Amino acid sequence: MAAQERTSSDFTVEIKQTLGGESITRCYQCGTCASSCPVAKMTDRYNPREVIRLALLGQRENVLGSDTIWLCASCYQCQERCPQEVEIADVIYALRNIAIREGKVPKIYAEFAATLTRDGRLVSMSKFLEKKRIEYGLPPLKPTGVEAIRKILSATGFDKLPISGMKGEST
Amino acid sequence: MTQTPPQTQSWEKPGELRIGVFICHCGLNIAGVIDIKELVEFAKTLPDVVYVKDNRYTCADPGQDEIRKAIKEYKLNRVVVAACSPRMHEVTFRRTVSDAGLNPYLFEMANIREFSSWCHPSTPKEATEKAKDLIKMAVAKARLLIPLQTIEVPVTNKALVIGGGIAGINAALDLAEMGFKVYLLEKSESIGGHMAQLDKTFPTLDCSICIEGPKMVDVGRHPNIEIISYADLISVSGYIGNFRVKIRKNPRYVKAENCTGCGECKDVCPIEYPNDWDMDLGVRKAISVPFDQAVPLLYTINKDYCIECFKCVDACGERRAIDFEQKPEDIELEVGAIIVATGYDIYLPYDNSLYGYGKYTNVITSLEFERLILAAGPTGGKVLRASDGKKPHSVAFIQCVGSRDINKYPYCSNFCCMYTLKHVVQLKEKYKDDVEVYVFYMDMRTNFKGFEEFYQRARELGVNFIRGRVSRITEIPGTKNLVIHAEDANLGMPIEIEAEMVVLATAAIPKKGADEVARILNLTRGADGFFMESHPKLKPLDSPTDGIFLAGACQGPKDIPYSVSQGCGAAARAATILSKQKWKIEPIIAVVDPVKCRNVTVKCGICAERCPYGAIKVAEKQPAQVITAMCHGCGTCVAECPADAIQQMHFTDAQILAQLRAALEKDPEDKILAFLCNWCSYAGADLAGTSRFEYPPVIRPIRVMCSGRVDRDFVLEAFRLGAGMVLVAACHLPYDCHYISGNWKMKARMEALAPMLHKLGLSPERFRVEYISAAEGIKFAELIKEMAEQMQALGRERIKAENEKLRPVLENMLKRKEKR
Repeated sequence: MAAQERTSSDFTVEIKQTLGGESITRCYQCGTCASSCPVAKMTDRYNPREVIRLALLGQRENVLGSDTIWLCASCYQCQERCPQEVEIADVIYALRNIAIREGKVPKIYAEFAATLTRDGRLVSMSKFLEKKRIEYGLPPLKPTGVEAIRKILSATGFDKLPISGMKGEST
Repeated sequence: MTQTPPQTQSWEKPGELRIGVFICHCGLNIAGVIDIKELVEFAKTLPDVVYVKDNRYTCADPGQDEIRKAIKEYKLNRVVVAACSPRMHEVTFRRTVSDAGLNPYLFEMANIREFSSWCHPSTPKEATEKAKDLIKMAVAKARLLIPLQTIEVPVTNKALVIGGGIAGINAALDLAEMGFKVYLLEKSESIGGHMAQLDKTFPTLDCSICIEGPKMVDVGRHPNIEIISYADLISVSGYIGNFRVKIRKNPRYVKAENCTGCGECKDVCPIEYPNDWDMDLGVRKAISVPFDQAVPLLYTINKDYCIECFKCVDACGERRAIDFEQKPEDIELEVGAIIVATGYDIYLPYDNSLYGYGKYTNVITSLEFERLILAAGPTGGKVLRASDGKKPHSVAFIQCVGSRDINKYPYCSNFCCMYTLKHVVQLKEKYKDDVEVYVFYMDMRTNFKGFEEFYQRARELGVNFIRGRVSRITEIPGTKNLVIHAEDANLGMPIEIEAEMVVLATAAIPKKGADEVARILNLTRGADGFFMESHPKLKPLDSPTDGIFLAGACQGPKDIPYSVSQGCGAAARAATILSKQKWKIEPIIAVVDPVKCRNVTVKCGICAERCPYGAIKVAEKQPAQVITAMCHGCGTCVAECPADAIQQMHFTDAQILAQLRAALEKDPEDKILAFLCNWCSYAGADLAGTSRFEYPPVIRPIRVMCSGRVDRDFVLEAFRLGAGMVLVAACHLPYDCHYISGNWKMKARMEALAPMLHKLGLSPERFRVEYISAAEGIKFAELIKEMAEQMQALGRERIKAENEKLRPVLENMLKRKEKR
């Protein structure tokens, strides 16, 4: 964890104004989310209650700069069980959207974005993978219609996002 | 009941009016938003205003002194105070002007705090304009005020206490000790309430029935107390000092006067059924008492289970107490005051699958645990698992089950932290190291005398406290042990703990049947379902209905000392009425003008038919007559009278129309004219102010006691003058109206009027009827926001055009009426 930032409600206000983040201030830190979370069970790198705590304390860089918010599997169990109707999974999305606006994206997601723009796929195909498919008796992959996908990405503004490695260049 | 002739004061205004206007800063509460100087200058321009003064705090002694002095010095004969809500300080200032020799009903308030500075802080200019209008409206009404004399009614010096729990017991005992006759009504077979079900009490661990039992016996023996148990409240009519109560005594099939409570019948009875006193963990006989210390000690036959073998009849023998032919018996009481102490229920979380209650046998509630650890309980004080009858070696206590949960009961249930601490201390002291104890909690609330020390005692006994809310409980199939899933929030680590028994501290919830009691007694319930007190700080024991008081957990979860205090407090409040021979009633009642009343010439009687209290008598060829002491001053008859022959004192047509015209003098098409009923909508609007919910400053409110007072002519006149919108806001249907059914009468009236206005070209959104409770400040603010947006969407031009079209028709309608 990075150094502690000044405690303030500025970041909370920002999150509440972001779609999905409206309910964050209802949190009273009971831990029902953390106890329901399948990811938190597997790794101590992700704990939804702690993410919300840090966000409420105004630890903006800590929250947006680390990999933590990208570990949520979006199963929504936390949100279903929250006794204060905090839309936890949606708050995480709000945090991700704020991070993306500022270009703070883990490398793997930047790669996905770049591959999508370039190939029309999230994971790029290699000679090795194609050989494996033949070995397993799987049919060859169909072309992706990358032009259409690029059009969609452009129409939705996805290609304007400050994610490094987009616009077709390889990472 | 007294019949008084119509008030004889002159309807005309006296020769010279001298109005004083006092404008309060309320510190910065008003002055921080509104330009007081501008208000002062404005007030000086109003007709008949001869003196204007602003004060820092008008309600404080110096402020009140200034009013008294000015009345004398400037010979003021009307006073207007522009300050907070009249629901807050109208009574205060009426007293002030009265001290200076002015009739208290020659006083009027302009609510520029709750209705302006507090709800429009970001638009100070518009807030000031609104405050000006509010003052102008108040002055307009003040010019037409007439002096009124307070009415006196006789007081029946007896009380009814509803509910025989620890709060009701104390209320009854205190009133009885003061010398008043008390009827103590109890729904179940015995008084005692929840306290009689408990083993020990926190934080002293003294035995609950050992301290409550003697009080119960005192009640049973007191010459001034009559216990009416196993009986239901059927209806209540009348008013403060003079309530008429109907009660139905259910048949016990045992004659009270013959039963000695010996219990020989029970010994021979062959039938057993689950005892709900024991949370169905134990059994009782088909003829029995729920518990040994029951008061009154009267046996009851449960006909659902009785096989009519008549063994009990033989055992009773010569005493002849058993009577299978007993029928329900209706009785009527007359009392001067009523104390409601109907208590609470415990939430049984069958509907929450995550805790497994009702599914896993070893998951129980705290009240069930209470019956298990109680020496006189069904297990003789042994804590045993239902699955195998064995003592558990590990027990987990789960806090806030249903409480503090937006999806269930959002409030904190108040006493669960402490009773769980009691249970864990009891368990640890009983079984020592043979039992491992866990408590899953979010916050440990130990905020009264000796509570924190008790928490410390639990920690020292080795109880494991885990800060984290339980997300779910699962059962291990073979052992029937339970796995509790939670996060240890202090470690930031999800944990799973196995326990042989789980005890759920479930929410305290409104008593089953609270809605029925609320309907019968005209009580309001908060969003949580508990009864609402008249004022959360200053009138915590008063209900909104005069002469009816609240005590104990019926108003919200409370522990024993709190309930006892409230019982004693409510008794003292009731005694303020019972100790008087006569009670003074506000003279804002309805008065019939015998000359105008149509009933003299044709058969009418509409007023008598619409009066919610039956307070109007109509004899053939006679003018209608209002029975003053029965009139509650809702004004429904006034609005209904087709000949405008009835006036409500202090809320006359002329006074309300003057307010209305003052409000709509300038830019009417930009304004929403609103009629708010005093008890719900006006209070809701006040709450929007006190909660600082901001809404657009376009509304001009007129207070009426009841929405039933809102005459259709008021609506017509508002649109004739060009109002942008009209709102009539009332208490919620069906039962919330403080005058029984004034809101229904208003609804019928307005539903007949609306289609006609629409046909004449009025956009439907411009005339609204809404229902807003005293608890719905947010709803009020949202409503005004929504209406203001609609008004803007319609646009000034369209509103003006509609009004042009409407005006000649409305003028005709109103003129026709005037002629009659």
